[in-house]
Amino acid sequence: MLTLLDQLDKGTLWRSPGGIHPPEVKSLSNTTPIGQLPLASTFLVPVPQVGENCTLIVKVGDKVLKGAALTQGTSIWHLPVHAPTSGTIVAIEPRVSNHASALPVNTCVIKADGNDTWCELAKSELENLSNPQMIDKIRSAGIAGMGGAAFPSHIKLNPVSEIDVVIINGVECEPYISADDRLMREYSHDILAGIGIIHRLLTPKRIIIAIEDNKPEAINAMQTAVMQSGLPAGCIRVTVIPTKYPSGGEKQLIQIITGREVPSGAIPAKLGIVVHNVGTAFAIYQAVAQGKPLIERVVTVTGKNVGKAGNYWIPIGTPVEHVLATTEFTPEPEQKVIIGGPMMGHALANIQVPILKGTNCILVPSSQEIGTTPEEKACIRCGECAIACPALLLPQQLFWHAKAGEYDKAASFNLKDCIECGCCSYVCPSDIPLVEYYRIAKSALKHSADEKQQAERAKQRFDARLMRLEEEKIARETKAKEAAERRQATMTGTDKNAVAEAMARIAAKKAAAAQPSNAAPSIDTVETTTSTATPKNQAVAAAIARAKAKKAAQANTDDTDLSHAVNVEANHAPTATSVVTTQEAPLTQKEKVAAAVARAKAKKAAQQLDNTPLETSETSEAASAAQPTADTDKKAKVAAAVARAKAKKAAQQAQANTGDDLSQTVTPDLQSTSGAQINASTDVEAATDIDDAETIKKAKVAAAVARAKAKKAALMATAPDLESAVKSEPAVKSESVEHVQTKVNTPPIENTLESGVAKAETLSSSAAPTTNPIETAPLSSEELKKARIAATIAKAKAKKAALAHEATTSSDSSVGND
Amino acid sequence: MAFKIASSPHVTHNLHTSTVMQRVILCLLPGIVLQCAFFGWGTLIQVLLAIIVALSCEAMIMRLRQRNIKASLSDNSAMLTAILIGVAIPPLAPWWMIVMGAAFAIIIVKHLYGGLGHNLFNPAMAAYVLLLVSFPLQMTTWIAPSSVALNSPSVIDSLQIIFNIGAHIDINQFRLGIDGTTMATPLDTLKTDLSMGLTSTESMTKTIFDGSTGVGWFWVNLAYLAGGLVLLKLKAIRWHISTGVLLGLFVASSIGFLLSPDTQASPVLHLFSGATMLAAFFIATDPVTAATSPRGRIIFGALIGVLVYIIRTKGGYPDAFAFAVLLANLCAPFIDYYVRPRAYGHSAG
Repeated sequence: MLTLLDQLDKGTLWRSPGGIHPPEVKSLSNTTPIGQLPLASTFLVPVPQVGENCTLIVKVGDKVLKGAALTQGTSIWHLPVHAPTSGTIVAIEPRVSNHASALPVNTCVIKADGNDTWCELAKSELENLSNPQMIDKIRSAGIAGMGGAAFPSHIKLNPVSEIDVVIINGVECEPYISADDRLMREYSHDILAGIGIIHRLLTPKRIIIAIEDNKPEAINAMQTAVMQSGLPAGCIRVTVIPTKYPSGGEKQLIQIITGREVPSGAIPAKLGIVVHNVGTAFAIYQAVAQGKPLIERVVTVTGKNVGKAGNYWIPIGTPVEHVLATTEFTPEPEQKVIIGGPMMGHALANIQVPILKGTNCILVPSSQEIGTTPEEKACIRCGECAIACPALLLPQQLFWHAKAGEYDKAASFNLKDCIECGCCSYVCPSDIPLVEYYRIAKSALKHSADEKQQAERAKQRFDARLMRLEEEKIARETKAKEAAERRQATMTGTDKNAVAEAMARIAAKKAAAAQPSNAAPSIDTVETTTSTATPKNQAVAAAIARAKAKKAAQANTDDTDLSHAVNVEANHAPTATSVVTTQEAPLTQKEKVAAAVARAKAKKAAQQLDNTPLETSETSEAASAAQPTADTDKKAKVAAAVARAKAKKAAQQAQANTGDDLSQTVTPDLQSTSGAQINASTDVEAATDIDDAETIKKAKVAAAVARAKAKKAALMATAPDLESAVKSEPAVKSESVEHVQTKVNTPPIENTLESGVAKAETLSSSAAPTTNPIETAPLSSEELKKARIAATIAKAKAKKAALAHEATTSSDSSVGND
Repeated sequence: MAFKIASSPHVTHNLHTSTVMQRVILCLLPGIVLQCAFFGWGTLIQVLLAIIVALSCEAMIMRLRQRNIKASLSDNSAMLTAILIGVAIPPLAPWWMIVMGAAFAIIIVKHLYGGLGHNLFNPAMAAYVLLLVSFPLQMTTWIAPSSVALNSPSVIDSLQIIFNIGAHIDINQFRLGIDGTTMATPLDTLKTDLSMGLTSTESMTKTIFDGSTGVGWFWVNLAYLAGGLVLLKLKAIRWHISTGVLLGLFVASSIGFLLSPDTQASPVLHLFSGATMLAAFFIATDPVTAATSPRGRIIFGALIGVLVYIIRTKGGYPDAFAFAVLLANLCAPFIDYYVRPRAYGHSAG
């Protein structure tokens, strides 16, 4: 029993089933040496990979040198493309592709400068390179399989499994094509050098160069080169195989050389076999030794309708039109221009398409050569197709089902194993374009598979969402329970405790107010503009008041208790402020309104968030916290009601209307608002000059702004993309509002609840008591400042809410810890 | 300019359906010639009549189906069907039989099932069976081969008998052998003799037999075999079905003959009598109604061979190809379903 290697050494060949013997017509092009064509003026370099796993590193107008890379990528699948000549990038736009579909692909259009100047090439001595370096050179040279499939070569040269046998494919079984034939005749030594590199990288036990027996010159040249190569003796041989189409197909060639079949759906590497085209071996040598990227290849230009049929070195990206124009192409009516051979090539409708890395032939046959497309007749089930099929399929059954649209049945006849070689269509006595039917069936199957996959993904998403919602619901319920328990626990304390605590806090606050510098760090959530430029102590006082209010709110569960606590605290808060300002700060109704508005906003924010029981209760706390306070002043109450109504209205408004709503509110006194907002801190005098009405307005505006912010924050809780939501608005807003807005444009908010509540409380607390003593007191700068502070605080709160990018759970706990 | 686009491959082989059919018809000629030589002009008259009827029916149906009449007629399939019916029925059968047969084959068996490529049954054999079961007497009235016949019909005689015109001529005078006995086909003779208690060896001594095979029929079969081999050479047909048929018949008849030589015809007689070669190379190989995969075709052919043997020895009819082919036609989709080639890269089974 001979081992596979023995068989390989003996040159044993196995039979590949099926196959045909179409007229070869290779002598049309293989008698002359590989020539050169004049350089085209424009080159089209498709960059279809851009966007997926690579980026374009040139832009329109850039000058590029021949061989310069145009794309850059990090993915292992990325294969750079290079400028085929020196020139200028004049456009990067979708152009018709050199593909059967002719679908447009992104293409770099390079206007050649005619100099064909090379960029600097990194030549290297093979001995000095490590294997990874070599593979990197091959990758960065953009080498793809030159046999037609254009699979990235570096991946095939860096396999995960052990490779025993490398087959170098010089079969070139398609009729007409002679590019590999000429390359082997003229560059056999370079090909062998490339094979040497492959040998080094893959260290296979055997390398078989397979050539069909219709290329005796190439066989001789390669045999001579093998003899002269430095590769270990016995490791490499040239095996001549009988001429038959499609022996050059990878699977068929493996079967002929080794007698083994590549399992369906697997790659040859699974058998320890790798197949490389001779052209690829040549390109590998060029890349590794010369540093030349893959920017030109041998292309067979043939057919009776081309005057100068032959093989040419053609830069990749050269338009087919240019190639034909320079080879005396004389079109006839109904001319076909075929890229590739007559068996598997695709016909072009538009010849303004580039030569690609896998383009080995341009065939322009006369009508005598290939005849007209005959009319399809009925299948007589003669079975010739099954005899010709190299994949041992039953083409007529496939056709039967494909034609009937029974694609699943076609699939059950192993449609996916069809290599589209065209043998069945070639032999069909009824002229049925079988391969076309298979292509349609295959794409239909692929389409339905894609759809199925998408549906499956959607289902998974839906299930995941349901599960998540369920989990969230459970989590919320648990939280609500815990919070309720906590409240129950706190309830055991008496009201006195709360009052005592509040008193203690007030004392502490007073102390803090006396030492503004110490307190400063604790108010860093307030905008820096405010904290730096505004008299610090005011801000500090406000912040402290806010914090207290919040704490009070958390400490008390009972509504009345809470309000009481708040009232107590609130009564002291302004005191603290007055300590600083040394003047009573009578707040106008407007300011109260502002406070109420802010409160309402907070409420709304709470409502817009998840309606957990806890939050609702807290909202009601906030509301009721405001309520008793308002009792002290009817106007304030009214204002609160108005504000609530406003807030409600705002809530009802669609997100898109937010901007309008806001701008409407702001517009009346936009200028002064901006003055207040922007200059409030730095230009106190200017603010003081502003009369009563203006102050009121400002406060109103500030409140409105704050409300808008809060609203937005609330909206953000549902709309994850805060940025886009907010950014759509500035168009209808003035600069100042934008200014405010940007402050609010913080990361998406999960929960603004507790801060909103706190804010409402603080504002109400600061508003309510101060209105009591002096209802109509003359406005002072302090008063104005306070109004501004209130607004700023509201703003800051909104910001803080935005910053509080936490889940309800953590928010709740933070409420507890505050 | 815009260029013509088409799906690959862009070249095709020049062997078209019409050419294949044409080759099959041409390869039938030697057999027809010998059949005429042994059984008179009747065969030729029947063939011509069948062709006229078949083509007329084809044209009519294509017109009704609003298809291209010329394309359909020029694919030669109707003509082939007609010729097969023509050579299959007795040379002097009345004209209305062949007309009925050809019309039935084309209209009902072929076109009512969807036309070329879609018919389930071999049209010629279905027509033959229709005639055989409807008119058993006429369908088994073969005249004596000319070399052993007392009288041979002239062209005029044949025409008069077939069309039943002019002076009434008794067809039976042409059935008389030189020994004055009425002759049947070799298979029929053997069947009758065996049923009468004679051994096959005794039967073989009759005038209709020439040692081991039937007079005339042997040569006719040889001519069809030769034509069939040419077809194989031309690749108009593939070897699988024919080999299957002959092998199936040979193996089955050999076993039978070895077990009971006295009551069984020899394998040679089976292979070179009746319609064996005609059916093996020209009828069973009709691709439309046969199995499609190579292995399936061998099975299909062998099934026909075995069925022929069984019907010939056990059935009520002396020859059996028409029945065997139709039965195998019925099995073809079944065979196709279960006998699929192992595609490249798939493990066996």
